[in-house]
Amino acid sequence: MSSIYRGRDRIQMRIGMAPGLLVYFLFGIVPSVATAVISLTNYSGIPGIPAQFIGLTNYVQAFILDSAGLTGSIRDTLVFAVSVTVFQNLFALGLAHLFTKKYPGRAVFRSLVFMPASLGVTVIGLTWALIFNPSGGPAANFLSLWGGNSAFFGSNSLAMPLVIFVQIWANLGFTTIVYLAGMNTVPEELYEAAKLDGANGWRIFRNITFPMIAPSTTVNVLLAAVGSLNTYDLIYVLTDGLYHTNTLGMYMFNTAFQGSSNLGLAAAINMVEFAITLIVALVLQKVLRKREEVLG
Amino acid sequence: MKKNTKITGAIAVALTMATGLTITAPALASSQNVVNLITWVNPPAVAVLKKINTEFEKANPGYTVNYQTTADVTGGYATMQQTAVQGGSADIMGTFPIQPLPTTTNQNSLSPTQLWAVNNVFTPLNGQPWIKDFNSSVLANDQYKGKYYGLVSGVYQDGVFYNKAIFAKYHLTPPKTFNQFMQIAKVLSSHHVVPFFDGLQNVGPLYLQFITYPLMQEVWLPKVGNINTALWTGKTKWTDPAFITVMQREKEVMKYLEPNFTGVPWQQMPGAFANGKAAMLLDGSWDLPSVVQANPHINMGYFPFPGSNNPKLNQSLLQPDLTFVVLNNSPHKAAALKWLNFFASPKIYAQYVNATGISPSRNVGTYNSVSSRTLGSWFGKGVSLATIFPALPGSGSYYVQPKNWWQLQLEMYQGKYTPQQVAQMYQNAWNQIQK
Repeated sequence: MSSIYRGRDRIQMRIGMAPGLLVYFLFGIVPSVATAVISLTNYSGIPGIPAQFIGLTNYVQAFILDSAGLTGSIRDTLVFAVSVTVFQNLFALGLAHLFTKKYPGRAVFRSLVFMPASLGVTVIGLTWALIFNPSGGPAANFLSLWGGNSAFFGSNSLAMPLVIFVQIWANLGFTTIVYLAGMNTVPEELYEAAKLDGANGWRIFRNITFPMIAPSTTVNVLLAAVGSLNTYDLIYVLTDGLYHTNTLGMYMFNTAFQGSSNLGLAAAINMVEFAITLIVALVLQKVLRKREEVLG
Repeated sequence: MKKNTKITGAIAVALTMATGLTITAPALASSQNVVNLITWVNPPAVAVLKKINTEFEKANPGYTVNYQTTADVTGGYATMQQTAVQGGSADIMGTFPIQPLPTTTNQNSLSPTQLWAVNNVFTPLNGQPWIKDFNSSVLANDQYKGKYYGLVSGVYQDGVFYNKAIFAKYHLTPPKTFNQFMQIAKVLSSHHVVPFFDGLQNVGPLYLQFITYPLMQEVWLPKVGNINTALWTGKTKWTDPAFITVMQREKEVMKYLEPNFTGVPWQQMPGAFANGKAAMLLDGSWDLPSVVQANPHINMGYFPFPGSNNPKLNQSLLQPDLTFVVLNNSPHKAAALKWLNFFASPKIYAQYVNATGISPSRNVGTYNSVSSRTLGSWFGKGVSLATIFPALPGSGSYYVQPKNWWQLQLEMYQGKYTPQQVAQMYQNAWNQIQK
């Protein structure tokens, strides 16, 4: 295996990469390895109290003593991640398709869809919490026109769908842009040829557009799946993990910072989350890459 | 000319160095005169603490107080506390008192604050000049093995605050028994008036405490004595019929809360009650200043939550609140202790009591707060929470961890479990933690 970089070029390249690799090592690799190590200790974070190696005790606690919490969290995580990944990609695909057409106000519409990507999680969370305030919020007033009412983010049945909705709303712009970029690379001649052959809009989309944007699909599905499997910040602002929204990220955060000082147990939960994310990411990557090769 | 330039250059360098030194020297000296204070947000408390900090800086020239808060005592503030303990980012930290402690004190059975206290994260305050001026039984809420770890700023009262105008309109008088209490709720409901207001959003089912605590106090406590001790020693169990009654009555009360109370932000409670959205507010007295701020003309009264049908058992509930601890890793310990001493001085402490409505922990003083006027003869009197609610383990058995304990209470109301099932789930988890 040969490299195009030789001698001085190679040294310069390595020097150029070093700061980035160092940052990644310090803030990516070291904390990850540290989390795995901490999960085998009773680390409490209290100054002066040394952490002791306790083997798999934290894992036993997570899977047996706290099994109700862990299984509930895994269920909530999977519901959240699958829903977000599927619906975010479907909506983004539809919107990107709309944005390829030419009509007045298209640029404004695009900006509106992308706008949430520029907002912070807390701003997004508080805005939607106000909209869905059951006591005088706009959504409650709207629902009351038909005699309805709901606790919204305080409802066991509605909290999760609403959190999923807000997560999709917040990330839809970015996903749409990626699909749009993919669609813009599809050669116009393919569409013209299909039209000459009498293909309708749906057949053109299914047989030309969708296969041709396979790399965009891979990127979007992977980002949405991995991102949603690790989400806790938005849920923290909206429901604090209550009402069946206690995803693994939220469960880990609550174990580490609310009600307990058992950082070792929190690290063990984090490792479970990591394992699930890794498996899902590897499987998705393999399936989607294979799909790209077949279609390519 | 060249020589002159050299001399001028040397003077410039010397001046620059001197300037640097004169700027640096006082900065070094004053770095010890900083107090980093953190608390959660209780609006009246935050406002008066800011004022007290300004007065401290004025009375102690050269001292600076950096005051930081987070909005949510159950979430963001817990994170801020962890950072302070691990990173030394605060000198004085607001906490809840550590008592009651469980009989077994290990990492699984203790809350973070308790764990910090028993592991010397806090500076013992014995011997501080203000200790003798404060009520020892209140300070005992933050005492461990003879050491006082915090200045307990006082106790709030949990109970029922009622709108006198609404009561008068429907010819109602404050109830003395649980049955009377429910009858009043029925009458109000029949006139489409919301009987009780309590918001759970942003705080979670923890705010069912205004129903659960007094019921435990008035139904269970008379039977077994100190519930915390009785549970840890096995004298009583979660499956005790008295606790089943507590949960059954809790369900009855919750039927009369405002619609969709689980989604109503707790921050709305004082304003909603002040503006007549409910006849009664189930709350702690810390919210009274906010009630009056929302409607200065409100005519409100107070009665202890009547959980029992024996009027003598229905008493106010005392909940010790904001407690200032000095962190052992504080780089400004002397300044922090100075601030505590200043806060504990009669005039400054009176400002705090009058603004927050807290019942004072100082032995002597004259106070005139909204709470003292509203609570009347109940001001500062009642049964201590430490004897009612057990110390729940921070981790370990799932259903008796604080957050999950309260979640089960809500799910019991929502019909997912019966009170008997919930009691059994608590007891099974309790058996695990006692092993």
